[in-house]
Amino acid sequence: MNSFRHIGKSALIAYTILFFAFIYLPIALIAVYSFNADPVNMMRWSGFTTDWYKQIFGLSNKVSETALYIESTDQLIQAVRNSLTVAAITTTIATILGTASALAIYRFGFLGKRFYRVLMFVPILIPDIVLGIALLIFFVGIGISLGIKTIVIGQCTFLISYVFIVVSARLAGMDRTLENASADLGANEWVTFRRIVLPQVAPGVIGGALLAFIISMDDLVITYFISGVDTQTLPIFIFGMLRRGIKPEVNAIAVMMLMFSFAVASLGLYLRTRNR
Amino acid sequence: MTRMDVKSRQRIQLGILLAPPSLLLAVFLICPLAIMVIYSFLAPGLYGGVEWEYYPHNYGRILGFADPEFEEFDPVYIAIFLRSLRIAVITVLVTLVVCYPAAFLVSRLPDRWKSFCLFLITLPFFASLIVRLFIWVLILKQTGFINTVLRHLGVIDRPLEMIYTEGAIIVGLVYIFIPFMFLPVYASVEKLDWTLVRASQDLGATAFQTFLRVIVPLTMPGIVGGSIIVFIPALGNFVVPAVLGGAKVLMLGNLVEQQFLSARNWPFGAALAMMVMTAVLVLLFLYVRSEARRGDDALAVR
Repeated sequence: MNSFRHIGKSALIAYTILFFAFIYLPIALIAVYSFNADPVNMMRWSGFTTDWYKQIFGLSNKVSETALYIESTDQLIQAVRNSLTVAAITTTIATILGTASALAIYRFGFLGKRFYRVLMFVPILIPDIVLGIALLIFFVGIGISLGIKTIVIGQCTFLISYVFIVVSARLAGMDRTLENASADLGANEWVTFRRIVLPQVAPGVIGGALLAFIISMDDLVITYFISGVDTQTLPIFIFGMLRRGIKPEVNAIAVMMLMFSFAVASLGLYLRTRNR
Repeated sequence: MTRMDVKSRQRIQLGILLAPPSLLLAVFLICPLAIMVIYSFLAPGLYGGVEWEYYPHNYGRILGFADPEFEEFDPVYIAIFLRSLRIAVITVLVTLVVCYPAAFLVSRLPDRWKSFCLFLITLPFFASLIVRLFIWVLILKQTGFINTVLRHLGVIDRPLEMIYTEGAIIVGLVYIFIPFMFLPVYASVEKLDWTLVRASQDLGATAFQTFLRVIVPLTMPGIVGGSIIVFIPALGNFVVPAVLGGAKVLMLGNLVEQQFLSARNWPFGAALAMMVMTAVLVLLFLYVRSEARRGDDALAVR
């Protein structure tokens, strides 16, 4: 009986290791093969090279001189720039508005509060393709030309929700007695807000902002529909490359993007654990 | 300071906090969704655009009452709808089966390991979706990793057709939705009251009976929650089938994209999107109703 249980437990451990392997082996694989020198078959190892990384940054190397694999570094850089611009603006707007609505719902009772709470979940719950085409129809209908502006507006509609949820969670765990104490000691509302409420919500706001930034950088579906033909963000650029046929430098771009998002996410999670 | 003053000042504060987000959501969320619903009932114009007249045949083309003047009913759309449903359901089941045992083990680990494992599971969620799908293209394609390795080992002499199949789409969906399923399931498993499990064993239940009649019902909220948040994005997904299904295996999302970006039949595209939306709303409705009923049951027991 006991040995049965032992076998069961070993099996479970083995399974869990497999589970994590399923998640991380593909990522390890792409990291390794991004240094593969074979320009045609990316999955046949034929020597170590850093050419694909140089290629991205437009540095001279053997490959680009053959002019066979020039996949417009300019376009890539422009896409990265667009992504960062959009993410910076949307993160700022969504963080302010999301935090404002979370504070409003936390502090005040008002008619339709429950409805409002449900409303804040709508953008996350509707399938992104539906939101994407709804926004496309809307923008074209009222005559706003598609571009950075429409991407920013479109992304804000659902990023607000993410910030709202993160900040609300933080507010729910907050100690209200401190606010009362501050008021009893004669601080006015503004001082109480600045010295008591704000420091306590701050980690939630930063967490929400980081989440919004990452989701904005990564959003493909909604942005795809409302970006127009001239504006590309990074995910759309890669999506386009995949559809046209893959080139080795996509590997290198992919690995750098993974590193970047892992770094940002680790930072966020680290900040969260430290603040507990 | 009078009471009125406090009240009106609070009202102003509330307005300042709530007006901007409300305005944004009303104009750029509610309005577009409403317009999309209206569009799905309008006639397509000859060169893109719409005619402002009531036209139910957008739905007719999908459901079987196509516009008699222009076309005969073609069941291809309903077939793609059913395929999308099937793929989404299979994705839910596979992610559930994959995550459930792992959630159990992780929940029994010492705290430090537990948080490390949770970190490892949340991390991919932050990594670019398109990049994670791209990896599977490299693994599954004709000259991809699996085929190269198998040929090298002499197991096969002609490459297996793995990419551009329904299986490839399901693998891709499972891979990107694992964190979505794991976290709710884990939250339930972690709260599981093990004394009940022991009681069940003491009373002579077999391991299988205990699992089916004690463990599964107790973790049901996590199972249901995880299933819903995997099902919703899986059903209308268009990136995964576009990348891993190619032109061979279409899902609803690809149809919608075609109608908007190449066929330029927006009302029909809107009707297709409404099909996705309706399926999701029905599911959410059933979920809310069963939750309410569960609440009633709990009260009745008390």
